[in-house]
Amino acid sequence: MKTKIVPRHGKSFKEKIYLPAVFGGMKVTLKHFFSNLIDGKKFKSMSYPEEQPKDITPRYRGVHRLTKRDDGSVRCVACFMCATACPAECIFIEAAQREDGVDEKMPKKFSIDLLECVFCGGCVEACPCDAIRMDSGIFSFIAKKREDFVLNKEKLLSIEKWSEK
Amino acid sequence: MTSVAVGVTILNILVAFTLSLGGAPILVWMERRVAGFIQDRPGPNRCHIGGFRLGGLVQSVADMLKLVFKEDFTPGHIRQKFYFTLAPAIVFACAFLTFMVMPVADILYIDAKPYIMQALPIEFGALWFLAFAGLSVYGVLLGGWASENKYSILGGIRVSASMISYEASMSLALISMLLIYGSVNLTQIAAFQGGLIFGFIPAWGVVLQPISAIIFIITSFAETNRAPFDMAEGESEIVGFHVEYSAMKFGLFFVGEYIAMCASSALIVTLFFGGYQIPWLNTQALQNNLTLVLSTLIIILPIMVFLFTRWMKKANRWLGDSLDPRHKETKKLTSFLFVSTALIMLVLALLAFSNLSQNSTNITIAFLQILTFSIKIYLMNFIYIVVRWTLPRFRYDQLQYLGWKILLPLALANIFITALVVVGLS
Repeated sequence: MKTKIVPRHGKSFKEKIYLPAVFGGMKVTLKHFFSNLIDGKKFKSMSYPEEQPKDITPRYRGVHRLTKRDDGSVRCVACFMCATACPAECIFIEAAQREDGVDEKMPKKFSIDLLECVFCGGCVEACPCDAIRMDSGIFSFIAKKREDFVLNKEKLLSIEKWSEK
Repeated sequence: MTSVAVGVTILNILVAFTLSLGGAPILVWMERRVAGFIQDRPGPNRCHIGGFRLGGLVQSVADMLKLVFKEDFTPGHIRQKFYFTLAPAIVFACAFLTFMVMPVADILYIDAKPYIMQALPIEFGALWFLAFAGLSVYGVLLGGWASENKYSILGGIRVSASMISYEASMSLALISMLLIYGSVNLTQIAAFQGGLIFGFIPAWGVVLQPISAIIFIITSFAETNRAPFDMAEGESEIVGFHVEYSAMKFGLFFVGEYIAMCASSALIVTLFFGGYQIPWLNTQALQNNLTLVLSTLIIILPIMVFLFTRWMKKANRWLGDSLDPRHKETKKLTSFLFVSTALIMLVLALLAFSNLSQNSTNITIAFLQILTFSIKIYLMNFIYIVVRWTLPRFRYDQLQYLGWKILLPLALANIFITALVVVGLS
């Protein structure tokens, strides 16, 4: 087996007096300082609330949304698969008979408590009808009351896909 | 005391206050913005009063206000409340008093009577600095001890050990400078540096004694507890002596550090970078060529202001849209700058082209020198800040090794060589 000997630093006189390294370091930092001072648009950071991130990938798990059928009605059939798969037990469904003949069941109420949710994506994987997705791209959800963090069916249906915005 | 003497004293104290205490928020701002720019981010830039951000300067005012209005909380386990309260005051007062002996201008002659331009007009300025810089260790140690917390007292001991060991080399580096200047009077030391070596190099301490300058600057970093020797806090890794402090008690430690930084910058400038002297123009030369100097200023000032406003227009942008609130700020600041520049130019022109009496010439020169001194102090502070954001922290044993085994012998050798040269030349 070939041994690679890593050279030890800090033994030569030039390295022992530190100062060349200090000035070298200062040269680098000053270069950054002056280039940013002259042109303030080279920052690697962004002004967050005004500038939103544009690099959210399609598989990013944001706030949930309920998908719709072609006729605009809810796709969910209230099978409770997502609520069963949920480790945080944050999905609350109340089933109802579907009268319009498209399907047999639909949710009367469908709410997700975002304060409980751990954003694991288990519900999306469990869903047999592709009715719930997490592709909204919403990474920061703000409300003033605890109750406002519980999204109901209408709210979940109104959220749109990230790429369509 | 005559009214002139009172006026000069008040002016000196005001200048010292503005440069030390008034400098603290500016330095906090400088520190954050420079750190940001070095790390490719903008730093604090949101806080504003009526749309005026002044590049984020308002943020440090807000921080100071927050520290002042916070609850002054003393933890219940502290028995020595008096010493606990006294410690930050000692640190702050020592830092503050060290600044008071810095000569901000040459001796001012009004009606042929000399006035020393120091807030405390004493003759032993260099010793005063060493005395009070040494005394601030007590504040640190007392704060660590009175906190009754193992981490605090360990932090306090660590800091005081590093400060004391660097103070030795600092004093020795200072001694070799005093050998050259032949005086402990800071005004005389600065006046000495108005001369020229070989007729064209300013006789600054850094030219005469480069080794002493390097040792002194390094030890000043350790003395003010700043990176790469910041054993005091070591924000991200180690707990320092002021964990139990909050609100303005902590604020005094915090501001004290910046004032100490200002004071040691001022001493470095006074000892090694010519103090208040404008390079190649000592007080005598200024008196002879005042009209020329003022006319040069009248030409240079508008160009500088114009370039500054151009830069401001380019740099003071936000998100690039036309409804940017910073456009308004830029416009207002630009017009303010133009008006004030015009006024300053008018005053300068009046001074330059009227027949000045000896008194007003001297006062004008004093103002020019105060300006030079402030610019030099801020350049030195800038170096302090850049070094802090460049270098990693020294390990404690490396710090002591550097202090006792490298800097101290070097400073001693430097004294002997300097003494030999001084004796040999005289």
